[in-house]
This record gives sequence, C-alpha cells and structure tokens, in this order.
Amino acid sequence: MTKWFVGIDSGSALCKTALFDGKGVTDALAVKTGWNPGLSAAESLGCILKRNSLSRGDVCVSSTGYGREAIDFADCSFTEITCHAFGGMNLAPGIEGVIDIGGQDSKVIQIEGGRVTNFMMNDKCAAGTGRFLNMSCERLGLRLEDIDEFADPDEAIPVNNMCAVFAESEIIGLLAMQKDRSKIMTGVLQSIAQKIRQMTGKVGFTGTAPLLMTGGLSKSALLIRIIAQAISLDVITHELALFAGAVGACVCAGDKGRW
Amino acid sequence: MSGSALPSQFEGFADARKQGFLTVKNLKDEGKNVVGVFCTYSPVEVVLAAGAVPVGICAFSDETIAEAEKVLPRNLCPLVKSSYGFAITEKCPYIYFSDLIVGETTCDGKKKMYELLSDFKKVHVMQLPQTQSGETAKEMWRKEVSLLKDKIEEEFGVDITDESIKRAIRVKNEERKLLKEFYELSKSCPPPITGTEQLKVLYGSQFKFDYAQKNKELRATIDKIKQDYENGARNVPESAKRILITGCPLAGATEKIVKAIEESGGVVVAYENCMGAKTAERLVDENDEPYKAIADRYLQIGCSVMTPNNNRYELLSRLVKEFKVDGVVEMTLQACHTYAVETAMIRKLMQKENVPFTSVETDYSTSDAAQLKTRLAAFIEMLP
Repeated sequence: MTKWFVGIDSGSALCKTALFDGKGVTDALAVKTGWNPGLSAAESLGCILKRNSLSRGDVCVSSTGYGREAIDFADCSFTEITCHAFGGMNLAPGIEGVIDIGGQDSKVIQIEGGRVTNFMMNDKCAAGTGRFLNMSCERLGLRLEDIDEFADPDEAIPVNNMCAVFAESEIIGLLAMQKDRSKIMTGVLQSIAQKIRQMTGKVGFTGTAPLLMTGGLSKSALLIRIIAQAISLDVITHELALFAGAVGACVCAGDKGRW
Repeated sequence: MSGSALPSQFEGFADARKQGFLTVKNLKDEGKNVVGVFCTYSPVEVVLAAGAVPVGICAFSDETIAEAEKVLPRNLCPLVKSSYGFAITEKCPYIYFSDLIVGETTCDGKKKMYELLSDFKKVHVMQLPQTQSGETAKEMWRKEVSLLKDKIEEEFGVDITDESIKRAIRVKNEERKLLKEFYELSKSCPPPITGTEQLKVLYGSQFKFDYAQKNKELRATIDKIKQDYENGARNVPESAKRILITGCPLAGATEKIVKAIEESGGVVVAYENCMGAKTAERLVDENDEPYKAIADRYLQIGCSVMTPNNNRYELLSRLVKEFKVDGVVEMTLQACHTYAVETAMIRKLMQKENVPFTSVETDYSTSDAAQLKTRLAAFIEMLP
C-alpha cells in the first residue's frame, strides 16, 4: 500500500501543498496564504485530499514555512531550510545547493553528501526578497509574471540601494527623471542578484554541481540568468521548484519514519 | 526543555538583579560608594579595595531605546543606546545610585556615549589600548589602572592599602574560579543544566554584592548540581545538540537566542561572551605586583575591540573541544562593527576546527523572534 504524504509549505505570500507517494510528487496546489495561515493550509489539505479521493487518515501531514506553527493539525514539522534542501534534492538530484527567494526572506543552502552543511539567510531586512521585487513591480506599474517579457535583457539602470524602502525612493527618483522602465526593472533584478551573491560568497560553493533555484521567482528565466552571472555558478530550476519546500517536508517526514 | 530540578537556586541568582533597587539603596544608606562599570575591562578589584561596590551597568532591554534615540543615532548598537537610555531616564537603580561611572575606550559607540553621559553623571574614562601585544600597550594600561586607583582614592577620600588590594584580588579570583567550575559542569553529556539556567547564574551573580556570601552560594549551587547529577538527575535529554554561543554581550532581551536554541532541540553548554568564559577563564596573578598583575590580566580579555584578537580564537578553539560542542552560534548586535567584521575570521576558524557555525544579527526588539527561531532551528536540524 502506498504511503502518502502531504507537505504544506506555508510561506508569507503563498501556501504550497504537495502530495507525495514516497518517491515523487503526484499533485500540487498553491493558494494565497492570506491572513490566516492555519486556514489556508487546512483548505489546501482538504482540496488535495478530495481531488485524489484520499482521507485525512490515509496521509501523513508535514508542515514547513513561516506558518508551520499555525498548522496545528500537522503530524510533524521542519524548518523551510531543511525542507528546501531535501525537496531540491528530490526534484534535481546531484545539486550542490538551493537558492530560494521567498516572500519575506531569501536563503542560500549548501548540500554535501545528501545533507545540509551550511546556509545563509537575509537578516532583518527585505532587500533581495520577493517582497522587494513586488514593491518594485508595483512602482513600475508591472505585474510580477511579466518581468521576463518586460525587462531589458541587455541593459540595466543600477538600483544601488540595498534597503527596500530606500530603493523604492530611488525608483521613484529614476521615474521622475523619465528613465526607461524596462532598464530600471533589470536594475532591480541585478540588485536581488547582488544580495544573493553576498550569501553564496559566505557559503563558499565549489561549483562542481549546479544550484537549484526554488520559490515563486524561479519562474523568471531572466532573473535566474542574472543571478547565475552574478555568482558565477550554474543555476537551474525545475517546473515544480515552487513546491520544493512542500516536497521536502514530505521527504523529511519519510526519513524520520513518521509514517 | 524541561524545567530545572533546582528552581530556587537559580531564581536566587535571577532575582538578585530584580531586587537591585532595594539592595543598592540599602548599600547607599550604609554609606557605601557605588561605582557603575560598563565593561569586563573594568578592573573591579580597585573598586572593591576602596570599600566601594562595583556594579555592571550595561543594559539589555529595549525599554529605553526610544528615549535614547532622541539624542543618539538610530543606527547604533542597542547596548549603547539602551544603557544611555537607562541613564537619562533614571530607570536603572544601579546607574542612578552610581557615585562614579567607569568606562573604557572599547568601541566607538561607547566611548562617544560616555561624553554625553558625563553631562549628568560623574564619568571616568580609562584609555584602553587596541592591542594586547607589545610593551607599549601593556605599559599604557598599567598606567591607566594606576590612574583609576588615584581617581577612586581622591573621589572617595580613601587610601587603598596593599593589603586591601591583595584581598580584593583573592576574592575576585575566588569568584572566577567558582564561576568556571560552575559552567564547566556542562562539560558532562548531557549537561546537568540548560543554557537558560547557566545564564541566570552567570548574569545574576554580577548583582550579588556581598562577595563572601556570593561565593558561598556559588559553592552550594555547584555542589547541589553535582550531587543531583551523580544521583542520576537528568534535566536535559542526551539527544540535545550541544551549542556554544559566542559574540556580543548576551543577556536580557537577547536571551531570545538561547530560548530559540533550547526550544529547537539544542542546549547551550557554553558561553564565550562577556558574561561567561571570556572573563572567568583568566585570573589575576596573586604573586605579582598587584596593580601590574591586575592590568596584565584585564588587557588579555579577548574582545573584538582588540586587533588582532588572538585570545578569542584560542579560547574558542579550546572550548569547542572541551565542551564537545556540536555547533557554534554567534550573536552580533546590530551596528557592532568589530564583532560583525570578526565573524569572517570566526567562520574560517570554525571551518578549520570542523565545527558547524552560524552567525545571527539581532537587536533588543522582539520583532525578529520568528526569523531567529527558523534560522536556529534549521541550524540544529542541520547538525549531524
């Protein structure tokens, strides 16, 4: 009989849920986390179970992400760092690490011999996070999903401020000077890449295997290219990269013999 | 982590600080002079020898930071802001009752803050060299210790005799030996006490002013913990990951670090901070000329204000082995440049020692509690 796992990664922006059969992902769902992380997680679980004709008793529920403690119906819980690493290894075996740009933080994780050996997270600061990109898009009158189509792939107007609040003022200033929006957008992406570079530099990757980019921003091929250039390492992604944390929660639960 | 089997003993130390107001007021009523000291570089033997009471006045709460920021820049170390804030708001009984405040030119934030503090408190600033090697630095610091003696004698109208300075050295050494014996109990696997409990004693002991009594209580605490442990009492599960904390001064608001570690399957076995091994490890040589011995001992404290800071590296390398540490967590306070820069050296050193290392930056607010918890829990999950 299949051992089913449901991993719920309750992030600050999206609640990602993955159904896992012990080997790989068979279904996945992402909804807005909203104001109540416990509620969005419960609804996601209900939805996944229903459309796969499973009941709560058939599955082990493992939670991760900032909202994990609000998911009081979970059978176990792990931090998102561990989960992104294990989810990353499941999706793309052989990687040397993970870059995850989340809603309110970004992190770089090093993997050696099938386990986490080091990681860095941004400090109490929104620079280089999804929130920072969101704010920039709003200022520039763009939608997050249109970045690749809109940003100038060849030329950037640098956005130097590392602070998200001051960077917004900087963008306002650039717009007032009637600078090209598409080049400002590229500058914003470069600024995120610089922040990631600070972290990868401290971790010290060898470059023997690629890094997997996870999180919502892994959809942007342009951002991945800009990051890869900035850190001089191979960066790949996966169609389920958004769900890496949720997948990792399932893998961790399985490893711990929770089912 | 489960509660302690020895609550009353730890609370005795924890309460010492809270009861501070009355204690200090009583001491003042008895005619005692109180000397507020800002740093572990303050040679408190000189204060004790003058019959005065030394008390640590570094602050660890965000309660007065908003008030301090009316004068001080926002982007400044929370310890400096908080301490200044407690001084201007007169909310800290120790600063309030201090007849003299002794500061040292340690970090830039502190030394400039002393200038502002001297507008309304009597402040004596000792010029601390920035290096521990070479005769010039040693000579300078010996001179500064001698100037402090002159200052205190003049201020309080007393003569510090040879006998009284030697007695102060002995009493203070005794306290250091006891504190060392106390925290070294956590070399056992599992440790007999949690890091929260250890910190209560290390921090609280600063606020017990009767040294003979304090040393007796420390002795009793050590004996009781030893006895219980030998009788099989276990407070900490064997599986708890053994963590050493290093970095900036840690107490009060920043105990959130200890809490996050101990709620996530770790146990803090050693502190290489001001309150812990950094200061208790070194004794004043009782066979040397007293003031020279005092100066030489204090100058060797391994704080990041020193360049190079080899004594910190040596101590850390030794502690991670002696305490069989699974991982090292460094805490730096926002805008503490010297510690923040030194993080790179410590990261390298820990790589060499093959000990997992992480560094977190924080302040005295609670706004990063969730982030810290995630980061420290992930660090503990990562440990083999």
